[in-house]
Amino acid sequence: MALFKRTPVAPLEYTRKTWMRGWVGATMFFLYAPLLILMIFSFNDSKRNVVWKGFTLKYYEKAMNNDSLVEAMVNSLTIAGLATVFSLVLGALAAVMLWRFRFPFKGAIEGTMSLPIIVPEICLGVAFLIFFAKISWPTDLPWPLNLSAITIAHITFCFPFVAMVVRSRLESFNKEEEEAAKDLGASEWQTFRDILLPHMKPGLIAGALLAFTLSLDDFVITFFTSGPDTITFPVKVYSMVRFSVTPEVNAASTILIILTIVLTAVALKLQGVKAIAESH
Amino acid sequence: MAGGLQDWKQHKRPFAAIAGAPLFWLLLFFLIPMAIVWLYSFGENAGPADIAISGTLENYKRATEWLYLSIFLKSLAVAALVTLICLIIGFPVAMAITFASPKWRPWLLLGIMLPFWTNLLIRTYALMMLMGTNGYANKGLGALWEGASWLRTLVGMQPLEAWTPVQLLYNNFAVVLGLVYVHLPFMVLPLYAALDRLDKSLIEASLDLGAGHLRTLMKIVVPLAGPGILAGVMITLIPALGAYLTPDLMGGTESQMIANVIERQFKRANDWPFGAALSFLLIYAMFILIALQSMRRDKGREAH
Amino acid sequence: MDFKTLLDNAQNRRSLLKGMGVAAVGLTFTGALAGCGEKEAKKLANGEEAKLNFYNWDTYIGETTLEDFKGASGVDVNMTLFASNDELFAKLKAGNPGYDVIVPSNDFVERMAAADMLMPLDFAQIPNFEKNVAPEFKDVPYDPKRKFSMPYTWLSLGIGYRKSKVKGTPDSWKVLFDSDEYKGRIAVLSEAGDMFRLYGKYLGKSVNGLTEADIKTIEALMIKQKPNIKAFHEDNGQDLLLKGEVDVVLEYNGDIAQAMVEDEDIGFVIPKEGSQLNSDNLCIPKGAPRPKNAHAFINYLLDAEAGKKITETILYPTPNNAAKALMPDDYKNNPVIFPPADVLAKCEYAKFNPELQAKYEEAFTRVRAA
Repeated sequence: MALFKRTPVAPLEYTRKTWMRGWVGATMFFLYAPLLILMIFSFNDSKRNVVWKGFTLKYYEKAMNNDSLVEAMVNSLTIAGLATVFSLVLGALAAVMLWRFRFPFKGAIEGTMSLPIIVPEICLGVAFLIFFAKISWPTDLPWPLNLSAITIAHITFCFPFVAMVVRSRLESFNKEEEEAAKDLGASEWQTFRDILLPHMKPGLIAGALLAFTLSLDDFVITFFTSGPDTITFPVKVYSMVRFSVTPEVNAASTILIILTIVLTAVALKLQGVKAIAESH
Repeated sequence: MAGGLQDWKQHKRPFAAIAGAPLFWLLLFFLIPMAIVWLYSFGENAGPADIAISGTLENYKRATEWLYLSIFLKSLAVAALVTLICLIIGFPVAMAITFASPKWRPWLLLGIMLPFWTNLLIRTYALMMLMGTNGYANKGLGALWEGASWLRTLVGMQPLEAWTPVQLLYNNFAVVLGLVYVHLPFMVLPLYAALDRLDKSLIEASLDLGAGHLRTLMKIVVPLAGPGILAGVMITLIPALGAYLTPDLMGGTESQMIANVIERQFKRANDWPFGAALSFLLIYAMFILIALQSMRRDKGREAH
Repeated sequence: MDFKTLLDNAQNRRSLLKGMGVAAVGLTFTGALAGCGEKEAKKLANGEEAKLNFYNWDTYIGETTLEDFKGASGVDVNMTLFASNDELFAKLKAGNPGYDVIVPSNDFVERMAAADMLMPLDFAQIPNFEKNVAPEFKDVPYDPKRKFSMPYTWLSLGIGYRKSKVKGTPDSWKVLFDSDEYKGRIAVLSEAGDMFRLYGKYLGKSVNGLTEADIKTIEALMIKQKPNIKAFHEDNGQDLLLKGEVDVVLEYNGDIAQAMVEDEDIGFVIPKEGSQLNSDNLCIPKGAPRPKNAHAFINYLLDAEAGKKITETILYPTPNNAAKALMPDDYKNNPVIFPPADVLAKCEYAKFNPELQAKYEEAFTRVRAA
């Protein structure tokens, strides 16, 4: 009957199985429950934001008028964006290098490439602090170059994560496809671009999301590499701990979340509209 | 997998093009800064703000005392538990994303990542608000308890004794929960990347041949997703080992992890050489593990 | 996987990346436009740029203080934030990246002075010091004759408690350190030095006079008390009290005074054995690019009217007598903010001692691992 147009669940359509939906649903609930609390408490009329005192919109006003908060957020997003792009490139190259070639000291280099993941953040932060101080990295450049020290540090600890994810993805690559392309006359670059790159795509997406997340929320390394003119969002929030994390911060975070959802929805919609237009 | 590794000597140009950038970056912006700190681990404090590199091994000797080794082992155990829980929770989620229709997939991915674009501190505070003694979890549990008690009186049984809130915070349970909460996407993403390439016809074939879903999962899916699982485990275990904010905020008096100790050396104790020594011991151990694993992996591929 | 599905999948992933790319670019442009209105550095009469980099704790300034200063002197103050003294010290240890005024606590003033990281102050540029600062802050053990620092606020440690859950007034350190009366409802500081020194006070000694044997005794006491303690907090004990997680907490009087505004059931007392005093100070780090502006700013913060505005916002005890006189009575006579003189007599400043500090840290790590 057309009314109940439910196609039967195929054996491989795991996502439509009830238990799977239940599992994912429960996980999402676990992940989002604190977020909901965060958003609700952004309307809390209390400076310390510990107990619910009353409803107010004044912290949204304060957040949007708070220049330093907005600046901090813009800085964080900029750094995260730049760091993600560079980490993707470096990470992908590193993954291909490790996966494809045999060269002396390969084990040691692979270990070294994983080091930024292992090093305790504070150790890395201090290392960067001293490094940039010793080479007298300029600290009063105009925006966005003043974020360069922070960005370099972020790229350094993000790209090994990307490399690891992309590497695991490459393990499942069927070399015969590459050889077939070469047999048909493709050059190295063409092979890379048209055969290897599409295969790496899910790894690259996952790596990009990972790098973006790591960079956006980093505090320790950013703290040590930021100068007097560069305030980022996590550093601002952490410094509020001594006195009070006012609902202002909750308000700013809520705005960021909603902005991200809206932007992605718009991007996907545009993609969908384009596809429909193209298919006509 | 057919075809082994290419020797770099025979493909010098592609090798240079591919390996040049990452190696150069690693050298300049990682090895050199870390070398400075490495030198510090052989130094000692000469006055409150200067460090004299005297080639002493005192710091390493102190770092290998049982006090610090025991803390390290405990942290390793907690991190391993967190990784295991993340794997169990994350694997079905990664499968759900892989097998979802293309319309929903980006939304599911975004759904997993979105909470992690909120600042960690605020999220932790929100989590603590949920789990506190007067938090909403306890309130909810208390309401359920009271409800059950009331039902019992209806039926004529003795009511349950008064509700005392469950201690969900300031103990090791809170630390594990908090760390799982923070590291879940780090497990899901590599799993998704690996599962995505899974040849679905293999699963269909297995099901057709009569194996149940669980058996198919264990014998077909998991081995093929092996590299992804390994990547996910590494990306979760190692940062979990280095986590210090969550144990600091949510842990009780029993929850000191090695990262807290290292952090304190660089900050309060102002003992950078000792902090460096502790950090590097951690690094040496992990480095050896990863190098060994890499050599084993390549030997396996050569054998094809 | 056939070609079409491959394309479809690729489309969706690309769109996700695109979406994020658009967002990043869009926000970068907004930021660039915002940053385009960058202030051109003008030169003041004193020859320095009209700018100041102020490194301070969060919300540790009046709501309009920075704008008022800009109006009065034309100097644009750029305030960046740190969350603890250690971070401040670690950041400046490798060299001053361009800060003009910083706000360390008293023991860090000592430490930084010993490490030659501070610039001596020129009293001629800070006339408000003589006029407005209370006499007991003009010469202090941690900075004799005020060579490097000016007082900004002062604090004392004590016991914050929830009146309805506590019998009488818990006026001895025993409640926190040596008894299971409030088992599982106690929170103390996680800072090794402060903890050891206060235990010393409990044992009847001076905060700066602990010996090796004392440290061992105290370590044993701490391990014995650990099961009764719920948490070692990082200076947010007042939140724990407000949330009802604990009923007695070791905290600063200023923090508890702020909490008392939100909840009347909270009280504070300095134990009879005496306690430790703290003070946050204004200093100029060596290598500050604009020392003259820095002096002018410090002088402005010590002004009566500006000081009053600052105190109204942060409600901490102030060493600025002129500002204190302008505050309302419920602040001036608040026994929590300004404890009685006889109690204060038993309170001391902690002295910076690098060897003892290292011993405290090691012992405290052992306590936490026990």
